[in-house]
Amino acid sequence: MIMAPFPVQGITEGDFVVVLVPVDTEDPMTTVAEKIAHHAVNRRVPENDRPMVVRHNGRVLAADTTVVDAGVAPLDVLEVVHPS
Amino acid sequence: MPRLARSEWYDLARDMNWKVSYVEESDAWPDELSTAKGIPMEAWWGWDEPYKVSYREYVHNQAGKDASVYAVNSVVARSKMFSQLDEGWKSAILAHYGAIAAAEYLASIGESRMGRFGRAAAWRNMALYGTLDEIRHGQIQTYFPYGLLDREPRADWAHKTFHTNEWGAIAARHLFDDMFTANDAVSTAIQLTFTFETGFTNLQFLGMAADAMEVGDIDFGALISSIQTDEARHSQQGEPTMKLLIEHGHKDYAQKLVDHMFWRSWHVFALLTGLSMDYYTPLEHRSHSFKEFMDEWIVKQFLDQFRDFGLEPSWYWEDFLKETNWYHHALHLGVWFWRPTVWWNPDGGVSPAEREWLEEKYPGWNDTFGRYWDVIAENVRNGRPELTLPETFPMVCNMCQIPLCNPAGHAAGHLDSPVPLVHDHAGRRYTFCSQPCKWIFEQNPGRFQGHMSIIDRFLAGQIQPPTVPGALAYMGLSPEEMGRDATDCSWAFANGTVLTRGA
Repeated sequence: MIMAPFPVQGITEGDFVVVLVPVDTEDPMTTVAEKIAHHAVNRRVPENDRPMVVRHNGRVLAADTTVVDAGVAPLDVLEVVHPS
Repeated sequence: MPRLARSEWYDLARDMNWKVSYVEESDAWPDELSTAKGIPMEAWWGWDEPYKVSYREYVHNQAGKDASVYAVNSVVARSKMFSQLDEGWKSAILAHYGAIAAAEYLASIGESRMGRFGRAAAWRNMALYGTLDEIRHGQIQTYFPYGLLDREPRADWAHKTFHTNEWGAIAARHLFDDMFTANDAVSTAIQLTFTFETGFTNLQFLGMAADAMEVGDIDFGALISSIQTDEARHSQQGEPTMKLLIEHGHKDYAQKLVDHMFWRSWHVFALLTGLSMDYYTPLEHRSHSFKEFMDEWIVKQFLDQFRDFGLEPSWYWEDFLKETNWYHHALHLGVWFWRPTVWWNPDGGVSPAEREWLEEKYPGWNDTFGRYWDVIAENVRNGRPELTLPETFPMVCNMCQIPLCNPAGHAAGHLDSPVPLVHDHAGRRYTFCSQPCKWIFEQNPGRFQGHMSIIDRFLAGQIQPPTVPGALAYMGLSPEEMGRDATDCSWAFANGTVLTRGA
């Protein structure tokens, strides 16, 4: 397994802007969510205790799925949301 | 002055048109530079400008204008006027000088192209004056900030900005290259003079001049008023060009040129003027909100123009009207949060009184945009400036080069989705903020596909080290030049709370 830097376009629920986030190909979605949310939560978005999931093309990705296994392409848009 | 009235000799002296015989017309006026759309040469000779001036009158008028405005500058330079201006207003004029001064000089290239490749002598004559106007505007808007250097060293960004890779400079170059530096004569007349100048800057300059006088900036007010009188004249090259296109069956072509450049102009206009009007101008001197200005002046004038020429409001008109409610608020938030990336000091401008004004002018502002500022203000008050500064970059649109604020538009109820538009073309990925920006790209991908946004450059390894400090250095910003909050975040401290500096 080789980790490789991988740029995605990240949106955190409740934020105002799309940000560039470097993740790794082998990051599970829990890590991806944290990496994206890091740039918004407590900066412009209040902290929220509810669990975060990653949505890709409208579909929620399993928490343990990695970036490469999920078929995410460079600069795909990943949304970090709190499922209702 | 001539003994004959101007009207008795003007048309004869102006219309030095003849059919070329020693060279082909297509060699003298290559279509790439001229774009005749098959309209016969003799038809172009009917091009008639609404505002007539002789060269002698032009020089006389311009000399008088320069004498007047430089006299004001000379007097003001010996006063403490600039130092006493509101910090937010200073930010507005620093932003203006950096974004506009060199662009005006570049506009002389577009005017010169019309002055050579316009198909009518009358048009070429007007474009000559336009060329001289734009050279004057470039020079005067570089000279005035030059006089401020001892009080504000970043006034040198009036000259410097366009020579850097600062993100706003990239956005401005992308727009202005498209609009006039690399445009044909007919498209320049429609896109620069008809759409951008008549539609936006002419009115903006009137508003800015009034605002400058209101806040006591006589220097800037005199400057902008003087420039506006030139704009009012040379912007009229668009109307006769538009008439000819429509008369010869090219209404759709003209419409497309307007639709293309109106949207692009709007986005840069929102970035510059939206922030200045609603956040940087001192509250007590705001005569109207940015949206009110847009509704009363820009929107109304464009609808009148569309009607007068039998054109339709642009296909995205409803989306544009929606953006006037939220887009510049999102840009302000972005510019403020990424303030080290700009050459002026963004004024947060969200004190309780200012928030009340914003809520009144934009009902729902506190729920949609105030909530972001609540988190930021708390971090400021808690002495956590690091949480108010960026650790990464916003993605930017591959057309307007402005950060993608789609989530803000979605949250405010004006966009169906927070997700921007991803478009794969010729093996490369592009992202657009809006359907119009994507549409402009798709109309002529060859014109735009090679351009690399600041993010594309970062990902391609052109920015080293690939970090926020590396990117700031790439943008030409030294620590002393990077923007800070204009008032040290005083807006975050209501009721006399102690100020925590560092943001």
